[in-house]
Amino acid sequence: MSKYTALCLSDPHPDHVNDGSSERTLSAARFAGRYRLVDFMLSNMVNSGITDIGIILNSHYQSLIAHIGMGKEWDLARKAGGITFFPPYMTDARDSEYSAIDGPLQRAARALRGTKSEYVILVNGSAVYNMDYRPAIEAHKENGADVTAVYAKKEVNKDAGEQTVVFDITEDNRVRSIKTASRLSGTANVSLGAYIMPKHIFLQLVTGVKYCGMLRFSCERLAPAVSRLKVMGYEFTGYSAQISSVETDFRHNMEMLDSEKRAALFDYEGRRIFTSRRDSLPAKYGKAARVENSLVADGCQIEGTVINSVICRNVRIGPGAVVENCVLKDSTVIQQNAKLDWMITDRGVIVSAGRNLIGAPTYPVFIESERII
Amino acid sequence: MSPTDRKKECIAMLLAGGRGSRLGPLTEEIAKPAVTFGGKYRIIDFPLTNCVRSGIDTVGVMTQYQPLLLHDYIGKGQDWDLDLLYGGVSILPPHHTPGSTAWYSGTANAVYQNIDFIDRFDPEYLLVLAADHVYKMDYKEMLEHHKKVEADCTIAVLEVPIEDASRFGILNTDPNDRVVEFEEKPEKPKNNLASMGIYIFNWSVLCKYLKEDAKADSEHDFGQNILPNMLADGKRMFAYRFDGYWKDVGTEESLWQANMDLLDDMHLGFEGWPLLSKSAGRPPHYVAPTGSVKNTLITEGCEIYGSVENSVLSAGVIVEEGAKVIDSVIMENIRIGKDGTVQYAILDENTVVGEGASVGEPREKGGKVTVVSRCSVIEREEGKA
Repeated sequence: MSKYTALCLSDPHPDHVNDGSSERTLSAARFAGRYRLVDFMLSNMVNSGITDIGIILNSHYQSLIAHIGMGKEWDLARKAGGITFFPPYMTDARDSEYSAIDGPLQRAARALRGTKSEYVILVNGSAVYNMDYRPAIEAHKENGADVTAVYAKKEVNKDAGEQTVVFDITEDNRVRSIKTASRLSGTANVSLGAYIMPKHIFLQLVTGVKYCGMLRFSCERLAPAVSRLKVMGYEFTGYSAQISSVETDFRHNMEMLDSEKRAALFDYEGRRIFTSRRDSLPAKYGKAARVENSLVADGCQIEGTVINSVICRNVRIGPGAVVENCVLKDSTVIQQNAKLDWMITDRGVIVSAGRNLIGAPTYPVFIESERII
Repeated sequence: MSPTDRKKECIAMLLAGGRGSRLGPLTEEIAKPAVTFGGKYRIIDFPLTNCVRSGIDTVGVMTQYQPLLLHDYIGKGQDWDLDLLYGGVSILPPHHTPGSTAWYSGTANAVYQNIDFIDRFDPEYLLVLAADHVYKMDYKEMLEHHKKVEADCTIAVLEVPIEDASRFGILNTDPNDRVVEFEEKPEKPKNNLASMGIYIFNWSVLCKYLKEDAKADSEHDFGQNILPNMLADGKRMFAYRFDGYWKDVGTEESLWQANMDLLDDMHLGFEGWPLLSKSAGRPPHYVAPTGSVKNTLITEGCEIYGSVENSVLSAGVIVEEGAKVIDSVIMENIRIGKDGTVQYAILDENTVVGEGASVGEPREKGGKVTVVSRCSVIEREEGKA
């Protein structure tokens, strides 16, 4: 057990969104062709030398556990430390709105109490960025802070603000207030959902909480404490994304077609993002294939046309099919001469021959998993 | 077989120590079984996958020539689920013993030097495999056949055109496929059943022959010594016919051709039997608006800004704008610079083709495939456009 422990929280899906991953917790949602959102957090931790990681589970977590397993792919399958899951028990109290349960976080806190760990890094399991936490931890110590909150300066818009937490920060970098970005627009200090704090502060903040989401921790626990605790901001200047809806899922996946953003995420300062590896064959392009400005994962077979799209593992695109401005998740099948524009599919969707499915730039249309159209 | 059984019915020994000198520069720094194949694989993935899929969970890999990369690649066997409590994959380099500092002096000698390793598992049968062929095979079926005909030794064979037969070890058989004669690369072949380098032996029988061979003045080779000796003693030796895809990738030309065969049938019959390998773990590949990709295999981490046709690309290959890759096998981490051209070539790992540089000749010219060794840097020739 080392000096630092990471605890990974995952927010449930917003109820009002018919999201691509409603069957699974947000941190298990697919991203950039072959990743799950939680890969970024786990990779950030191991790249920062932090190898004691607790994963707080609340609901729909089967695919998350299946993906992480023992943590082998992140070198986290170890005798000392590594991954610990904190699942809910049947006897835990329930909060109907969030289906979140107080048990897992309390049990994690209890487990932490008896360890030699001195600092807790509380992170959001569904945030996408590539960061070395060590300089932030150093800054935390130098500032003599109680809590250090990582943020990025970003544009927020009125519509997508409810899941977004923003900080009001003074000139000397102190966090003065914490609130959600609803009804805000323009540039704001957007929380990346990463808080560094000594163990005793963490235990104090989570004692008695009845939920385990990051959003509510920020707004209901940390926000009222900013006058009492020294909460400092730490700015992250790299690429970051928060997926919380069909629209953001689509938009951030599409951003991965930008080579600079891809470089800023996947190989930033030499830090790799690790994920579970499968035994897919390489992607195969047929003699009549046409592909432009697209990201294509292994196991795909492309006979038709693909333009401005993100194609996840094992997708098949038949002869004469045209896929434009789409995000197609694992094992989607587009049969011959079908046409898709501005669509986003979940895994295992089949679009039969000759179908024509068209969304709009302002409204990419989502097809839920295993649908046959 | 349960993975925790200490006694194994059948274990496999892989002959992975050879150089494969006909592969030229490709095997200067690495052993032949470590040569990259099909974008994501190394040749050793074929026998390892076949073992795992056939339920053989104990594999000794005998290494000798340039083993560093091969050892690193195999690791603890985790990518083939061969990191087991009992058995799994074991790397077996030659070693000193009291009174001997010998290298592996032949295929039979390599197995002989590992008798103690094999005896730890007390096997009934030993599967001996060359580690330099591309094929899918269920060794379990071969073992069942071996038991059914009550053989002492079973050799997998492939029917080859009679005019090619003199390039192979040829088995002359009776009507029941019992082997009556073994001829290594015969000038006048009497039969067209070629040995695939896959043998199953009753271990107790083989062990005796290995010990006798070790004392004799011999090449210590299965084909030249052990098999003829067993035949001379009237041991029951049978051919086991195989009719799937099988390719000896021992030459530059055949390695190129086997890669191209993947473009026609990328599965090589591997549907439902995915080939296991250690993957690079990089982001999906990207094809830019200026890029074009036809009849090609591409894997993770590649970035295509130029055009690629009839080719196989390994992880992390960058094809810059205006560059052309045609009829080629491009191994890991290679950069083809702006307006560069690669035609009918095999480029080994970490090579850079500079801006405007050209490698290889068009395949239509009928020449040989161009092979570029690892970590090469190819610059544009002066005076050429």
